[in-house]
Amino acid sequence: MQWAVIFKKEMVEYARNVKWIWVPMVFLLFGIMDQITTYYLPKILESVGGMPEGAELNIPIPDPPAALYMSISEFNMLGVMVIALISMGLIAGELKSGVYELVLSKPVKYSNYITAKWAGLSLLVLSSVFLGYLGGWYYVNILYGELAFSTFIVSFLIYTMYILFFITISVFVNTLVKNPGLVLFLSIALLIAITIITRIFGHILSWSPGHLSSYVNEYLHTGTMTGDMWATMATTLAIIVLLLFTAVTILKNKEL
Amino acid sequence: MWEELAALNWALIAPLLVIELILIVVALIDLSRIEKANGPKWAWVLIILFVTGIGPIIYFIFGRRQ
Repeated sequence: MQWAVIFKKEMVEYARNVKWIWVPMVFLLFGIMDQITTYYLPKILESVGGMPEGAELNIPIPDPPAALYMSISEFNMLGVMVIALISMGLIAGELKSGVYELVLSKPVKYSNYITAKWAGLSLLVLSSVFLGYLGGWYYVNILYGELAFSTFIVSFLIYTMYILFFITISVFVNTLVKNPGLVLFLSIALLIAITIITRIFGHILSWSPGHLSSYVNEYLHTGTMTGDMWATMATTLAIIVLLLFTAVTILKNKEL
Repeated sequence: MWEELAALNWALIAPLLVIELILIVVALIDLSRIEKANGPKWAWVLIILFVTGIGPIIYFIFGRRQ
């Protein structure tokens, strides 16, 4: 009940500051941008000219899975940046401006407060990522060849875990520091650190969340879920729960 | 140049332009509705209109007061 009230308040706020319009549009842009530019790249180069006589352009055309993965790469760079930017003030901003004290002056449970905010942000971001990925899939089918809808859906579900993981990191960092700029920096730094550690010790940490986007790539090409993929998703889920739990504890013990 | 432009499949590119247009229009409407922006409003109008591609996004992220 109380949870629903906070969740609704978040939704109203996202509607009021037009996040429900611009975030999906931006992700849609990210999702379809690369497919279109890659497709037209040879034509663009041709019309711009400047190529020496007789020079042959050999730009390989990606196969459908690789073409769809371009959307994911775009989300991993620009998308993550946008997610970090919209979540940096989620709790930290309220701590700073004093809204937080206003909210918690009523008997609001910390766990409700955190999870409702987390769920609201996740709903906004995941809908946007889905829209962008769907747009990417649509263009792949038109420009690069057929790719089954089921493959698209399953790969999206794997990627969902990665996005949720990053959102959770951001929510967690939000409870650590008050400065939104620092939240932005720390959450991206954490994600990069995890990616680097996974890349170096990948053979030992085969269940690390850092593998998720390469698993999306693997799944797109092979179409089969391996044991490692399931295990990684389970680990990620466990880490998400743990991080949320820690965030609640931190907030509870925080001196205002 | 013009033949090449005509040869482009506009049905493919139109969505990009539509998205961009939606972002610009929404950003301008939002800018006119909010009480105070993060900096002078006229500057934001210029940014939204003339920074190709990412102008509206920059406005949504940095222009609104949190």
